[in-house]
Amino acid sequence: MNDTDTTAEHGLVKRATGIPHLDAVTHGGLPAGGATMVVGEPGCGKTIIGLQILASALACGEGGVFMSFEESREQILRNADAFHWGPQLRESPRCEIIDGQSMKGADFSGAFDIDGLLAVLDLCIGRVEGTWIILDGIDQLLRRQPDNQIAIDQITQLNDWSIERGYSLLLTGKHTGNDSALQPNHLTGIEFMLNTILVLSSTLVDKRLNRRFRIAKYRGTPHNPNELAMLIDDAGIQLPYAVPFVADAVPAAGQRISTGIERLDRILEGGVYRGSVTLVSGQPGTSKTTLGAAFVAAAAKRGERALLVSFDEFARQIVRNVSTLGIDLQSPIDSGHLRVVARASWDSLVEEHYMAVLALLDDFSPDCLVIDPASALLKSTGTESAFLALERLLAVTRTRGITTMLTSLSEADDPFGESTLSHASTLADTWIVLRYQVNGGERNRSLSVVKSRGTAHSNQVREMTLSPQGVDLADVYPYGSEVLMGTARAQKESEEAALRQRQVKERLRQQQRLEVEIESTRALIQQGQAELERLQEELVAEHQDQAQTDRGASQHQDSILRRRSADQGGNDQ
Amino acid sequence: MNRALADHHHSHDATLILFITGEAPRSRRAQQHLKTALAASGADLAPAREIDLLSAPQEAIDFGIFATPALMIIDASGKRQVLYGDLSDGHSLSHFLAALSAPTP
Repeated sequence: MNDTDTTAEHGLVKRATGIPHLDAVTHGGLPAGGATMVVGEPGCGKTIIGLQILASALACGEGGVFMSFEESREQILRNADAFHWGPQLRESPRCEIIDGQSMKGADFSGAFDIDGLLAVLDLCIGRVEGTWIILDGIDQLLRRQPDNQIAIDQITQLNDWSIERGYSLLLTGKHTGNDSALQPNHLTGIEFMLNTILVLSSTLVDKRLNRRFRIAKYRGTPHNPNELAMLIDDAGIQLPYAVPFVADAVPAAGQRISTGIERLDRILEGGVYRGSVTLVSGQPGTSKTTLGAAFVAAAAKRGERALLVSFDEFARQIVRNVSTLGIDLQSPIDSGHLRVVARASWDSLVEEHYMAVLALLDDFSPDCLVIDPASALLKSTGTESAFLALERLLAVTRTRGITTMLTSLSEADDPFGESTLSHASTLADTWIVLRYQVNGGERNRSLSVVKSRGTAHSNQVREMTLSPQGVDLADVYPYGSEVLMGTARAQKESEEAALRQRQVKERLRQQQRLEVEIESTRALIQQGQAELERLQEELVAEHQDQAQTDRGASQHQDSILRRRSADQGGNDQ
Repeated sequence: MNRALADHHHSHDATLILFITGEAPRSRRAQQHLKTALAASGADLAPAREIDLLSAPQEAIDFGIFATPALMIIDASGKRQVLYGDLSDGHSLSHFLAALSAPTP
């Protein structure tokens, strides 16, 4: 026995099945020693679970034995070929597939033992050095017992034998009708004998098959007891909602990224937060797809990878249509930055859409994602789980830091139509509502930001305009309780432009008048300055003349006084 | 231990094999019921070959027998018929063995 893939939990040793989702809901796998009963209606996937476990064991280097009491070896292998892991069942020397349907058409005379079966299984599992044994359709063997209690005892015998040997034994049994789903037909009471019982069921919803999975019993270990959606694709069994969501893993980035519409970015203080979720809701024709296209185009322009998943509209149509609005999607598609994937909402179950989008996220690893319209999931089969699928998907995008934009189609006759996906709106960080505003015989598109967490956004309704130059938001012109749009807004814009022009001209005239006055004043100043200088010069000359006159008078006076002096004899010198 | 297959010197070229598992009570009862039925038939029938699957599990795979006891008839054309159980239902057993006495087509 290979113990490398076993885990012990509360004393119970489990062996991983290799089916990731099954291992998730069972918290590590099925009993490493002991029997597990898989009960279900025909076509639910019981045989596939067994085959996939065996294939996974082979892939891990272990062996296993598969015995069918309903189908031939060739039928089993042919069924397995439908899966990508199927060929190894045919090719591996460590896989024994035994045809156990020889009882078909046989006669019976009294009860029988299964010791010979155990001897065969011991021989085969020893030959392949295996750990897994699958007995597919065990009810087809034991229903031949004349006494139901003998069959129950032999299930117990199988369980005890597998515990003693340390084999992981998987038993499958058919259930039909309205009896307890915990037990296969002809094995009434088995639910009390085994510790692990898995129940598969299916219902037709809108003529499409919906498979369900439930762990009805797993004694001694925590497990997910809920009924879960189950899919079967080429990878085998998928339980889309099996993996628990870890809220702590969600990052909270502070970086803003563009929506692709400059003025919308300004309203949102630079755009939406990276890794956040934006919901764009609106009636048909309000340009939800255009907003989504602008968003992915902007992402691609930044060199990021963007994924646009379109329901009900083909990729080429989207590329063509938005190109008329100046949004180029073809170039980023060609460069590998953008992938546009179209899916028909009516063509798959909600869970299938969910898994397909997850596969795209895994494969393409986008930075930005647009689902247009996410409300189309409500049109697909199994819509009761549409919100669950959306919640799970958004949990994944948040955890991976993928900035996501969902669009949602509102009902045309519902004035509060944006509530159609109100459940999603509670999950969204930013909610943008697009509407038609009918005024003056016109229908104009409007945009308003209902909420944007962590952003002091504008609460005004704005007209959204589309042109070959792209998408834009018009200026806001309040008019009473309304905002002018369309022709009225254009008229108002024209009037305001004329007013601005008049104001500009008036200012120009005023400036010219001031300049003339300044020039005139400057000339007066210059003239005054010249007069001032002349007067100053005249004053200086006057001062000089006076000084000269004063000196001559003084000298003359001195001379007279000397001549009149007695000492000088009255002679002039 | 498996007993030797009886020689084919009887009027009918059919082979009778009883698959058992050791000393299991049902196997023992089947041996007894078969012995009694063969004796009661009055036909010139060979004793059955016995195969113990506990000691020869590969035989179970080769013959496609996974429940015991099981009584197998292989007719001259190789066609096999199997009667499962401890052969406690005498009517079923005698009806099954009638194939051995039936004229070869």
